[in-house]
Amino acid sequence: MTNIENQIFSSYQRNPDLYDEIYDKEGKVKEIYQKLFEIYGEHTISDYVNLNSKAKSSFFNQGITFQVYGDSDVQEKIFPFDLFPRIIDHKEWDIIERGSIQRSKALNLFLWDVYHDKKILKDKIVPIDLITSSANYLDQMNGINPPGGIYNHISGIDIIKHNDGKYYVLEDNIRCPSGVSYVICNRTALKKALFGVFNHYQTHSVTNYAENLLELLESVKPKGVDVPNVVVITPGMYNSAFYEHSYLAKTMGVELVEGRDLFVENDFVYMKTIKGPEKVDVIYRRIDDQFIDPLEFRADSALGVPGLFAAYKKGNVTLANAPGTGVADDKAVYTYMPQIIKYYLDEEPILNNVHTYHCSRPDELKYVLEHIQELVIKPVDEAGGYGISIGNKLTKAEIEKVKAEIKENPRKYVAQPIMSLSVHPTYIDETESFEQRHVDLRTYTVLGKDKEFVLKGGLTRVALKRGNLIVNSSQGGGSKDTWVLKK
Amino acid sequence: MPNQYNITYRTENTYENWVNDAYWQFLIIPMENNSQHHIDVEFSNSLFAVNDFSINGYGFRTIRVHPKKKFKKINFEAKFSFIKDHIDPFNFPLDINDALAYKEIEELTFKINFESFLRSTPLTNIPKGVNSIFEFNLSNTIFENLQELNNWTFNNLQFKTGVTHVDTKLTDIISAKQGVCQDFTHLFCAIARQNGIPTRYVSGYINQEHGLLGDSQMHAWAECYIPQVGWKGFDPTNNILANTNHIKVCHGKDYNDCSPLRGIIYSYGKNKTTHTVKVQSQEQ
Repeated sequence: MTNIENQIFSSYQRNPDLYDEIYDKEGKVKEIYQKLFEIYGEHTISDYVNLNSKAKSSFFNQGITFQVYGDSDVQEKIFPFDLFPRIIDHKEWDIIERGSIQRSKALNLFLWDVYHDKKILKDKIVPIDLITSSANYLDQMNGINPPGGIYNHISGIDIIKHNDGKYYVLEDNIRCPSGVSYVICNRTALKKALFGVFNHYQTHSVTNYAENLLELLESVKPKGVDVPNVVVITPGMYNSAFYEHSYLAKTMGVELVEGRDLFVENDFVYMKTIKGPEKVDVIYRRIDDQFIDPLEFRADSALGVPGLFAAYKKGNVTLANAPGTGVADDKAVYTYMPQIIKYYLDEEPILNNVHTYHCSRPDELKYVLEHIQELVIKPVDEAGGYGISIGNKLTKAEIEKVKAEIKENPRKYVAQPIMSLSVHPTYIDETESFEQRHVDLRTYTVLGKDKEFVLKGGLTRVALKRGNLIVNSSQGGGSKDTWVLKK
Repeated sequence: MPNQYNITYRTENTYENWVNDAYWQFLIIPMENNSQHHIDVEFSNSLFAVNDFSINGYGFRTIRVHPKKKFKKINFEAKFSFIKDHIDPFNFPLDINDALAYKEIEELTFKINFESFLRSTPLTNIPKGVNSIFEFNLSNTIFENLQELNNWTFNNLQFKTGVTHVDTKLTDIISAKQGVCQDFTHLFCAIARQNGIPTRYVSGYINQEHGLLGDSQMHAWAECYIPQVGWKGFDPTNNILANTNHIKVCHGKDYNDCSPLRGIIYSYGKNKTTHTVKVQSQEQ
């Protein structure tokens, strides 16, 4: 089937240099998208606009919102959403799922090692400075055995498809990865708006996330506990992800608490209830390490629970994710992921890492200096995108300046090829039409005691500004429902 | 001869306004180790709140108190009695191979094993530009160099209370040349670590009966790890090696890991806190 007449895609412009998720190189709609393309084609663009705005107002009505920090007038916003889903077939999904589990397990083994024997450092696979210079390395975690041996219970792995058609991991988020509630809400919204489309596809459900999360959290209960009492702790309603915290607590059927609802006595954690104290065994915490216990970490934290870390150290409560996990969630550690996977699992990485050149190594330094226009140069010790130079956007003078800086302090820099995120047709409000926009995919992997779960779906994030590569919701990104097909 | 020690620690806290909620964590109990044993602890507070014994993130004993009613005044009293064995700080093997010791501290495995006590912290960070304040003489043993550093720190700082506080940075201490025991200890730790010697900050009590300098609250000194010897205590405030008069509570990277009292008080307005420590010993 070639390009059929299709109203809503009639003005869709394809840039041949970009990898389009629904069109192949010849401009034909890919097989898995054909049915969807036909169904959507039966509608006019004004039908679509209508449905889309209904879906949006349903998000508002349900309170599925987030806040952007730093705005002078803090507003509840909805995560921009469009009704045209992204589809991933079972073969590609298999790679993503196996790759996500592999990475999560390797990161877990790495964290165990870093907080115990430190073999990978002694064997000179990962340099020690990388670990001890990290602000997320917690001395207090040394020698602690987290219940079930799990550190990164929940991992949010950000994956992109490059224009070579292969998947690459951009980041491993293993502190408090968020966004999973949007995955489920996007599905619900799409089902409400266009229920019929689901009849033509065998799509995996995403609504089973909460039950699987609960089961795996229960599997890492402290020793001696029969039926664990699980709670979700939130920094409170002013946190940007508060909706998600309440959603997860509600769907798991557990209490949502703030720090002041809990107290520690005799190294056990209790929840204040109208019937008196109730012991808490597993805490899914959505509060950062430094704020969980003001007696052990930041004393100015009003969010945490005094004495919580002592209870954790004694093994009387499980914290998910474990404190100190952030040390492996780091730009510099990321570059060692292929070696880390090999070291602990003796396997080849299933998902690609973006290749990284370490300027501290002379032959790689030479390559970087010669190919600077094709590379992104990043300082290893800066976070949040500071100090990054994108080679093909630099002037001649800037190139010379960057080169000089690298030569001056090669240890400080790494370089990576410039990645081109795949694009997906996305409905754009301003032009009332579909346009190509860059997308990524955040997957959610949950590790429990001897079992694991990957949510069959994920958050496809869309960079709504044309040509923009940044997909974060705080940067004006949107999202799409993501379908993983059964065989 | 072992000593029988009795230590009394008291603190009084008064607040201008009602305190509706508060948590305290005391890190003041003498630790059980090779030379300190039979430790007996009596702890009380004026509000009769539960005294919750626990351990902190670094494995040292703490007492947490969380009164369940509002108050304007609370007093705490701790009494410790224990046996402290006689310590001869010079009692260590004499046949140390210095070359091997210097080689060992350069090895990666050594650096990894002692990593937390080799790292500089915000309180033990030697400011740029003052690199050569004290350098090891490699023809002497590590122990001799540390003794020399102890002496150097003692001679370069003047003991004076009230000029520094618990988070004074080394830059200010080096330029003011004055401070109290934690400042002496932070400077000593910083330089010893810069020379590759794992060094930990020690918090404890000092028996002032023999005229030693210290604090009416708690004392601080340092412990260095010397290959083939083990951990040795150095007290730069007094220019001596730690001995029977030094009662150890805990150690860490710097004062922040060892602060004797952490409190979270939900109140506003002024408050007043006083601490007193009394150390008594009796040779047995």
